[in-house]
Amino acid sequence: MQIDRFVEKDVVITAVRGRLDSSTSPKLDEFMAVIPDGSSVLLLDFAELTYISSAGLRVVLKAAKLAKGSGVTLAICGLIPPVHEVFDVSGFSTLIPIHPNRDAALATLG
Amino acid sequence: MIIAQLDLRLENDLAELEPLVRALDFFCETSALPEKVAHRLTMAVDELINNAVDYGYPDHRAGEITVSLRHRGTQVEIELADDGDAFDPFTAPAPDLTSPIEDRRIGGLGVHLIRTLAASFAYRRDGDRNVVTLAFTLDI
Repeated sequence: MQIDRFVEKDVVITAVRGRLDSSTSPKLDEFMAVIPDGSSVLLLDFAELTYISSAGLRVVLKAAKLAKGSGVTLAICGLIPPVHEVFDVSGFSTLIPIHPNRDAALATLG
Repeated sequence: MIIAQLDLRLENDLAELEPLVRALDFFCETSALPEKVAHRLTMAVDELINNAVDYGYPDHRAGEITVSLRHRGTQVEIELADDGDAFDPFTAPAPDLTSPIEDRRIGGLGVHLIRTLAASFAYRRDGDRNVVTLAFTLDI
Protein backbone atom coordinates (compact mmCIF):
# COMPACT_ATOMS: atom_id res chain seq x y z
CA MET A 1 0.00 0.00 0.00
CA GLN A 2 1.15 3.53 -0.75
CA ILE A 3 -0.28 6.74 0.69
CA ASP A 4 0.19 10.16 -0.94
CA ARG A 5 -1.09 13.46 0.40
CA PHE A 6 -1.87 16.60 -1.63
CA VAL A 7 -3.47 19.87 -0.61
CA GLU A 8 -5.71 21.77 -3.03
CA LYS A 9 -6.93 25.03 -1.46
CA ASP A 10 -8.45 23.89 1.84
CA VAL A 11 -9.05 20.32 0.69
CA VAL A 12 -6.57 17.73 1.97
CA ILE A 13 -6.45 14.79 -0.43
CA THR A 14 -5.16 11.45 0.78
CA ALA A 15 -4.65 9.01 -2.10
CA VAL A 16 -4.32 5.35 -1.19
CA ARG A 17 -2.94 2.77 -3.62
CA GLY A 18 -3.02 -0.99 -3.28
CA ARG A 19 -4.68 -3.05 -0.58
CA LEU A 20 -6.28 -1.88 2.66
CA ASP A 21 -6.39 -4.91 4.95
CA SER A 22 -5.40 -5.92 8.48
CA SER A 23 -1.68 -5.59 7.72
CA THR A 24 -1.77 -2.22 5.91
CA SER A 25 -4.65 -0.38 7.60
CA PRO A 26 -2.66 0.69 10.72
CA LYS A 27 -0.52 2.88 8.44
CA LEU A 28 -3.58 4.74 7.10
CA ASP A 29 -5.00 4.92 10.62
CA GLU A 30 -1.84 6.68 11.76
CA PHE A 31 -2.01 9.02 8.76
CA MET A 32 -5.63 10.00 9.42
CA ALA A 33 -5.23 10.46 13.18
CA VAL A 34 -4.21 14.11 12.83
CA ILE A 35 -6.25 16.61 10.83
CA PRO A 36 -3.90 19.22 9.28
CA ASP A 37 -4.47 22.76 10.55
CA GLY A 38 -6.64 24.93 8.33
CA SER A 39 -8.25 22.09 6.41
CA SER A 40 -12.00 22.11 6.01
CA VAL A 41 -12.39 19.00 3.83
CA LEU A 42 -10.60 15.65 3.93
CA LEU A 43 -10.88 13.69 0.70
CA LEU A 44 -9.88 10.02 0.58
CA ASP A 45 -9.04 9.25 -3.05
CA PHE A 46 -9.45 5.47 -3.42
CA ALA A 47 -9.22 5.35 -7.25
CA GLU A 48 -6.20 3.07 -7.02
CA LEU A 49 -7.42 1.09 -4.04
CA THR A 50 -7.81 -2.46 -5.33
CA TYR A 51 -9.00 -4.16 -2.14
CA ILE A 52 -10.62 -3.35 1.20
CA SER A 53 -11.55 -5.58 4.15
CA SER A 54 -13.35 -4.79 7.40
CA ALA A 55 -9.99 -3.69 8.85
CA GLY A 56 -9.91 -0.92 6.22
CA LEU A 57 -13.54 0.02 6.87
CA ARG A 58 -12.71 0.39 10.56
CA VAL A 59 -10.04 3.01 9.73
CA VAL A 60 -12.39 4.89 7.38
CA LEU A 61 -15.15 5.02 10.01
CA LYS A 62 -12.70 6.14 12.68
CA ALA A 63 -11.44 8.94 10.40
CA ALA A 64 -15.02 9.99 9.59
CA LYS A 65 -15.88 10.17 13.30
CA LEU A 66 -12.77 12.26 14.03
CA ALA A 67 -13.58 14.63 11.14
CA LYS A 68 -17.20 15.01 12.24
CA GLY A 69 -16.11 15.75 15.82
CA SER A 70 -13.68 18.40 14.50
CA GLY A 71 -16.22 20.10 12.23
CA VAL A 72 -14.43 18.90 9.08
CA THR A 73 -16.09 17.15 6.14
CA LEU A 74 -14.73 13.75 5.14
CA ALA A 75 -15.55 12.48 1.65
CA ILE A 76 -14.39 9.62 -0.53
CA CYS A 77 -13.87 9.39 -4.29
CA GLY A 78 -12.98 6.91 -7.01
CA LEU A 79 -14.26 3.58 -5.67
CA ILE A 80 -13.87 0.66 -8.10
CA PRO A 81 -17.04 -1.50 -8.26
CA PRO A 82 -15.90 -4.31 -5.88
CA VAL A 83 -14.83 -1.76 -3.25
CA HIS A 84 -18.04 0.25 -3.77
CA GLU A 85 -20.00 -2.93 -3.12
CA VAL A 86 -18.26 -3.34 0.25
CA PHE A 87 -19.13 0.27 1.17
CA ASP A 88 -22.76 -0.30 0.15
CA VAL A 89 -23.16 -3.55 2.11
CA SER A 90 -21.53 -1.98 5.19
CA GLY A 91 -23.97 0.93 5.24
CA PHE A 92 -21.13 3.43 4.63
CA SER A 93 -22.54 4.79 1.36
CA THR A 94 -25.28 6.62 3.23
CA LEU A 95 -22.88 7.77 5.96
CA ILE A 96 -20.00 9.26 3.96
CA PRO A 97 -20.33 11.25 0.70
CA ILE A 98 -18.89 9.21 -2.20
CA HIS A 99 -17.93 10.96 -5.46
CA PRO A 100 -17.13 9.21 -8.75
CA ASN A 101 -13.66 10.77 -9.08
CA ARG A 102 -11.38 13.47 -7.72
CA ASP A 103 -12.51 16.21 -10.13
CA ALA A 104 -16.17 15.63 -9.32
CA ALA A 105 -15.36 15.67 -5.60
CA LEU A 106 -13.37 18.92 -5.85
CA ALA A 107 -16.11 20.57 -7.93
CA THR A 108 -18.59 19.81 -5.16
CA LEU A 109 -16.40 20.31 -2.10
CA GLY A 110 -13.79 22.87 -3.10
CA MET B 1 -6.70 -21.93 -18.24
CA ILE B 2 -8.91 -22.69 -15.25
CA ILE B 3 -7.37 -24.00 -12.05
CA ALA B 4 -9.96 -26.52 -10.95
CA GLN B 5 -8.81 -26.63 -7.38
CA LEU B 6 -6.42 -24.85 -5.00
CA ASP B 7 -5.39 -26.33 -1.64
CA LEU B 8 -3.29 -24.42 0.88
CA ARG B 9 -1.97 -25.28 4.31
CA LEU B 10 -0.97 -22.38 6.60
CA GLU B 11 0.38 -21.79 10.06
CA ASN B 12 -1.89 -19.83 12.42
CA ASP B 13 0.13 -16.68 11.78
CA LEU B 14 -1.07 -13.52 10.00
CA ALA B 15 2.28 -13.41 8.15
CA GLU B 16 0.80 -16.25 6.08
CA LEU B 17 -1.78 -13.88 4.60
CA GLU B 18 0.55 -12.27 2.06
CA PRO B 19 1.46 -15.50 0.22
CA LEU B 20 -2.16 -16.63 0.63
CA VAL B 21 -3.41 -13.49 -1.12
CA ARG B 22 -0.90 -14.07 -3.95
CA ALA B 23 -2.22 -17.61 -4.38
CA LEU B 24 -5.84 -16.39 -4.36
CA ASP B 25 -4.98 -13.69 -6.93
CA PHE B 26 -3.41 -16.36 -9.13
CA PHE B 27 -6.50 -18.58 -8.82
CA CYS B 28 -8.84 -15.68 -9.63
CA GLU B 29 -6.76 -14.32 -12.53
CA THR B 30 -6.10 -17.62 -14.28
CA SER B 31 -9.79 -18.48 -13.94
CA ALA B 32 -10.71 -14.98 -15.22
CA LEU B 33 -13.19 -14.51 -12.38
CA PRO B 34 -15.21 -11.27 -12.49
CA GLU B 35 -13.47 -8.65 -10.31
CA LYS B 36 -16.39 -8.49 -7.87
CA VAL B 37 -16.29 -12.25 -7.35
CA ALA B 38 -12.52 -12.19 -6.87
CA HIS B 39 -12.85 -9.39 -4.30
CA ARG B 40 -15.71 -11.15 -2.47
CA LEU B 41 -13.93 -14.45 -2.06
CA THR B 42 -10.56 -12.90 -1.15
CA MET B 43 -12.30 -10.73 1.45
CA ALA B 44 -14.14 -13.74 2.91
CA VAL B 45 -10.96 -15.81 3.28
CA ASP B 46 -9.07 -12.78 4.69
CA GLU B 47 -11.77 -12.05 7.30
CA LEU B 48 -12.15 -15.66 8.43
CA ILE B 49 -8.41 -16.29 8.74
CA ASN B 50 -7.94 -13.05 10.70
CA ASN B 51 -10.73 -14.17 13.08
CA ALA B 52 -9.33 -17.70 13.43
CA VAL B 53 -5.78 -16.49 14.15
CA ASP B 54 -6.85 -13.65 16.49
CA TYR B 55 -9.37 -15.59 18.61
CA GLY B 56 -8.88 -19.33 18.03
CA TYR B 57 -5.57 -19.80 19.83
CA PRO B 58 -5.69 -17.72 23.06
CA ASP B 59 -2.84 -19.82 24.51
CA HIS B 60 -0.67 -18.99 21.45
CA ARG B 61 -0.18 -22.67 20.60
CA ALA B 62 0.94 -23.53 17.08
CA GLY B 63 -1.98 -24.40 14.82
CA GLU B 64 -2.85 -25.27 11.28
CA ILE B 65 -5.34 -23.68 8.91
CA THR B 66 -6.28 -25.18 5.58
CA VAL B 67 -7.98 -23.36 2.71
CA SER B 68 -9.34 -25.03 -0.39
CA LEU B 69 -11.13 -23.52 -3.36
CA ARG B 70 -12.77 -25.39 -6.21
CA HIS B 71 -14.97 -24.61 -9.16
CA ARG B 72 -18.33 -26.31 -9.08
CA GLY B 73 -20.71 -25.40 -11.88
CA THR B 74 -21.42 -21.67 -11.74
CA GLN B 75 -19.93 -21.32 -8.25
CA VAL B 76 -16.61 -21.31 -6.47
CA GLU B 77 -16.74 -23.32 -3.26
CA ILE B 78 -14.36 -22.57 -0.41
CA GLU B 79 -13.62 -24.65 2.66
CA LEU B 80 -11.61 -23.20 5.55
CA ALA B 81 -10.63 -25.42 8.46
CA ASP B 82 -8.65 -24.55 11.60
CA ASP B 83 -7.73 -26.42 14.78
CA GLY B 84 -8.46 -23.45 17.03
CA ASP B 85 -10.99 -23.37 19.88
CA ALA B 86 -14.56 -24.14 18.79
CA PHE B 87 -16.16 -20.99 17.37
CA ASP B 88 -19.00 -20.41 14.92
CA PRO B 89 -18.31 -17.02 13.30
CA PHE B 90 -21.88 -16.79 12.00
CA THR B 91 -23.28 -16.38 15.53
CA ALA B 92 -21.83 -12.82 15.58
CA PRO B 93 -24.54 -10.21 16.21
CA ALA B 94 -25.70 -8.07 13.27
CA PRO B 95 -23.65 -4.87 12.99
CA ASP B 96 -24.99 -1.34 13.33
CA LEU B 97 -25.73 -0.16 9.78
CA THR B 98 -28.04 2.78 10.40
CA SER B 99 -26.89 5.06 13.26
CA PRO B 100 -25.54 8.52 12.43
CA ILE B 101 -21.77 8.79 12.19
CA GLU B 102 -21.15 9.87 15.78
CA ASP B 103 -23.08 6.86 17.16
CA ARG B 104 -22.09 4.24 14.56
CA ARG B 105 -20.35 1.37 16.31
CA ILE B 106 -16.95 0.43 14.89
CA GLY B 107 -16.47 -3.22 13.98
CA GLY B 108 -18.45 -6.38 13.36
CA LEU B 109 -18.57 -5.85 9.60
CA GLY B 110 -16.39 -8.74 8.42
CA VAL B 111 -18.86 -11.55 9.08
CA HIS B 112 -21.74 -9.33 7.92
CA LEU B 113 -19.98 -8.86 4.54
CA ILE B 114 -19.55 -12.63 4.15
CA ARG B 115 -23.17 -13.36 5.13
CA THR B 116 -24.38 -10.80 2.60
CA LEU B 117 -22.07 -11.49 -0.34
CA ALA B 118 -21.72 -15.29 -0.23
CA ALA B 119 -24.34 -17.40 -2.02
CA SER B 120 -24.22 -19.78 0.95
CA PHE B 121 -22.28 -20.20 4.19
CA ALA B 122 -22.13 -22.90 6.85
CA TYR B 123 -20.15 -23.82 9.97
CA ARG B 124 -19.56 -27.20 11.56
CA ARG B 125 -17.29 -28.52 14.32
CA ASP B 126 -15.59 -31.62 12.97
CA GLY B 127 -13.54 -33.34 15.70
CA ASP B 128 -11.01 -30.73 16.82
CA ARG B 129 -11.51 -28.51 13.78
CA ASN B 130 -13.75 -25.57 12.89
CA VAL B 131 -14.90 -25.99 9.31
CA VAL B 132 -16.51 -23.13 7.37
CA THR B 133 -17.85 -23.72 3.87
CA LEU B 134 -18.77 -20.89 1.53
CA ALA B 135 -20.00 -20.62 -2.03
CA PHE B 136 -19.75 -17.61 -4.36
CA THR B 137 -21.75 -17.24 -7.54
CA LEU B 138 -19.72 -16.52 -10.68
CA ASP B 139 -22.43 -15.02 -12.87
CA ILE B 140 -23.17 -11.76 -11.08
